[in-house]
Amino acid sequence: MVEFRIRRFNGEETYWQSYEVPVKKGMTVLEGLLYIKENLDSTLAFRYSCRMAVCGSCAMKINGKPRLACETQIAALKSDRITIEPLDNFVVIKDLVTDFEGFFKKHEKVKPYLIRDDISYEKPVELIQTPAELKAYYDFTLCLKCGACYSVCPAASTRDILGPAAITAAYRFCMDSRDRGGDERVDIIISDDGAWRCHFAAECSEVCPKQINPAKAVQKMRVKAAIRSIKKIFRW
Amino acid sequence: MSVSGWFRISGRSPFSLAFSLHRITGIILLIYLCMHLTYLTSLTDKTGQTYEKLISTTISPTFLPFDILLVLCGLYHGINGLRLIVHEFGFAYEQRRAILAMSVVIALAVWIYASYVMYKIVVGG
Amino acid sequence: MKVQYDIVIVGAGLAGMRAAIAAAEKSDKLSIAILAKTYPIRCHSVCAEGGTAAVLREDDSFDLHAWDTVKGSDFLADQDAVEFFVREMPKEILRLDNWGCPWSRREDGRIAQRAFGGHSVNRTVFAADRTGFHEVHTLYERMLMYDNVDRYNEYFMTNLVIEDGTVRGVSAIELKTGELVFFEAKAVILATGGAGRLYGFTTYSHQVTGDGMAIAYRCGVPLKDMEFFQFHPTGLVPSGILISEAARGEGGHLKNKLGERFMAKYAPKMMEIAPRDIVARAMWKEIVEGRGFDSEHGPYIALDLTHLGEEKIEERLPLIREAAIKFVGIDPVEEPLPVRPVAHYTMGGIHTNMWTETPVKGLYAAGEVACVSIHGANRLGSNSTAECLVFGRVAGEKAAEYAMNAGDNHIPDSFVKEEEKRIYDELLGHSGDESPYQIKRELNETMDKNVWIFRDEKGLKEAVKKIRELKERYKNVEVRDTSKRFNMDLQSTIEIGYMLDLAEVVAMGALLRTESRGAHYRVDYPKRDDENWLKHTLAYYTTEGPVFDYIPVKITKWQPVERKY
Repeated sequence: MVEFRIRRFNGEETYWQSYEVPVKKGMTVLEGLLYIKENLDSTLAFRYSCRMAVCGSCAMKINGKPRLACETQIAALKSDRITIEPLDNFVVIKDLVTDFEGFFKKHEKVKPYLIRDDISYEKPVELIQTPAELKAYYDFTLCLKCGACYSVCPAASTRDILGPAAITAAYRFCMDSRDRGGDERVDIIISDDGAWRCHFAAECSEVCPKQINPAKAVQKMRVKAAIRSIKKIFRW
Repeated sequence: MSVSGWFRISGRSPFSLAFSLHRITGIILLIYLCMHLTYLTSLTDKTGQTYEKLISTTISPTFLPFDILLVLCGLYHGINGLRLIVHEFGFAYEQRRAILAMSVVIALAVWIYASYVMYKIVVGG
Repeated sequence: MKVQYDIVIVGAGLAGMRAAIAAAEKSDKLSIAILAKTYPIRCHSVCAEGGTAAVLREDDSFDLHAWDTVKGSDFLADQDAVEFFVREMPKEILRLDNWGCPWSRREDGRIAQRAFGGHSVNRTVFAADRTGFHEVHTLYERMLMYDNVDRYNEYFMTNLVIEDGTVRGVSAIELKTGELVFFEAKAVILATGGAGRLYGFTTYSHQVTGDGMAIAYRCGVPLKDMEFFQFHPTGLVPSGILISEAARGEGGHLKNKLGERFMAKYAPKMMEIAPRDIVARAMWKEIVEGRGFDSEHGPYIALDLTHLGEEKIEERLPLIREAAIKFVGIDPVEEPLPVRPVAHYTMGGIHTNMWTETPVKGLYAAGEVACVSIHGANRLGSNSTAECLVFGRVAGEKAAEYAMNAGDNHIPDSFVKEEEKRIYDELLGHSGDESPYQIKRELNETMDKNVWIFRDEKGLKEAVKKIRELKERYKNVEVRDTSKRFNMDLQSTIEIGYMLDLAEVVAMGALLRTESRGAHYRVDYPKRDDENWLKHTLAYYTTEGPVFDYIPVKITKWQPVERKY
């Protein structure tokens, strides 16, 4: 038996509630939460879907660190008490469900799509990309938009900023050999809440479930932003 | 996380802790800077008497511990700052652990030497 | 609250988002809403791993892809639709490339293709082993470019509004606040996915509960071929997580307890990459006859990848390796993986024609929720993501054409009042003594036991009886969470209601079909019976249960032959 201590919120007040969960070998935290929902207390609200770490729904703070509940083995936490809280830096809607509208709006802001004016919708043509060119940006395409990086970013805790995930998405497209919209995106990153807000606490890279190193992407975007800023000054 | 989060230790990576220390030492240095400027602008008389009085107060065994801590803050903030400059120019991300360890070791080593020198000056011997 | 749109798309997976893009490309004057019960990139489509089939190179042909699909469907697929489908696929691959999808490449920089079960040529385009994930993110990101597409995230559909054989709109709960929102629409596209959570051991995400299918069915739209459920050969034991067909496509071997590559007995030419229903039945036969391994989570077969080597596994199958290590603690580089056939795809669905039109005017369905039928009695791997792309586009274009010529629609206030009463008075805070989760557990148990790979009359009759009993008990169900704010208890309870309706159609359809075809195998009728059963099953809703009818299969080029691999 393991104690699941969960920080809950019902729209008005925050409170803690504990549940005793029988643990079998190989059981994940998500399975524990589903046990609670289906057998003990069906009012508990939390997001989940794929249970195989590709959808990013179940990111939450487990024993102080943001993780995906579906891929966290209860046994691996080596504790009789599992403390579960919603992600930091997000507004809580209910229990472990946080508001992601702002997060996705920031992603949208950096123009995270291939920008190219010579492609035709009616008559598409294959674009050539070598395996080496693919490798240059592939790792950054694996972002689940789970929000773990944003929740640990110290810059995001005191101010609403673009955040590691959005900037990584921008970098992914800037590094895609098929893209022609790099300058447009860098201009957005130069903004007041963009790449300059990073002070390399690099906690985002520590907690990313796919280990895609958002801190690296942000630093690389800084360099692009700096070069672009200088170029702009001299063109005046 | 907010400002109170700077002081939390559990569940944070060394980089995040280094960030917090950078902020805290930065604030300490800023306060010191203000004090130092006040100190200097008070030396307006031409006789050197105010200077002698202030020096005899501040360069003394009672003030030594504060000076040693101040030097630690300054060294840490400066050397960590250099580390950040390297990374923020897009270099050596993969070697960040080694560079952080190296920065801390260098800061500590220089600090120990500097403390020794200051100790000799103030306490003598 | 009422909102008005030209087109409302329910479901933001591959088919739904492709439809939104297609409609927006058709005209930027159309107002399009796309609503889904999760954020678009959390859809079940992201779980797809293996790839998307398309004819791209000279060594392949449309006729060959169509033939592979028709043969794979055990001749139940409508051949005119299949011929259309294979011709539209290549452009979809190229469009995704143009929109930024990170397709895996050959050395010369052109899009790579790999072998897949049932395809006679290597035509499966892939992006490492996360093809669905990359396609979804690419479509989502492309969809962001269109200003006339409004996204309604975390809106859970509760009903369709149909009057005089024409669709008028959709009602949905905004999960954040728990309020009902009524979308008045000229055209509605359903792209809500399959119904895999009817089963307990399944590859599906938790959210795949057949919402669109059940609602359309209750509103009088017939469901087609629901008895055909695909059982994918390799589901990781015990979670059911899919081990992609690509593991076998890249050279994995299936071995029984005696260490034999037993597929030599069942499909000597294609071995492990024979079509899924054949491999699944072979594996289940081995298990039933006692040649499976035993474990505390039930019997299993060994999937051996150890001979491929670490480099090849890391390059072509990284997600599979990660999943195996994380969810079972086994590294496929070192040891074989425990797998068992698992419920994986719903061939059946809402009855549509080749243009995604349903019998209701203005109502379209695309993707897994629909049954055109392309896949007939058994789907080939890498044809589902393909179907979503092609028919998502068709639905978007057809809905756009229809909406551009249609007048505004209104949802009558009487419907609003009725729906509010149904949701808030009769369901939310309904006190009873049945736990919806207990009902779901029993439903899963019955489906796993009696409506599985090997079916017989006795088992199916038992299943139908049990499902009817569960439906009675469901009337007394309790929703313990009485608040409106993000009430997942209410959502789950409503979903379980959908699944009960669908389970009845599946079990009864299986009981009535006295032959074996594709994925539907009757132990008491083991042969395919083209004389009596070369036809599609249609199920219509009545308050006493489903009523069945049959329609012929469209044959253009290929007469049914024996299906041997």
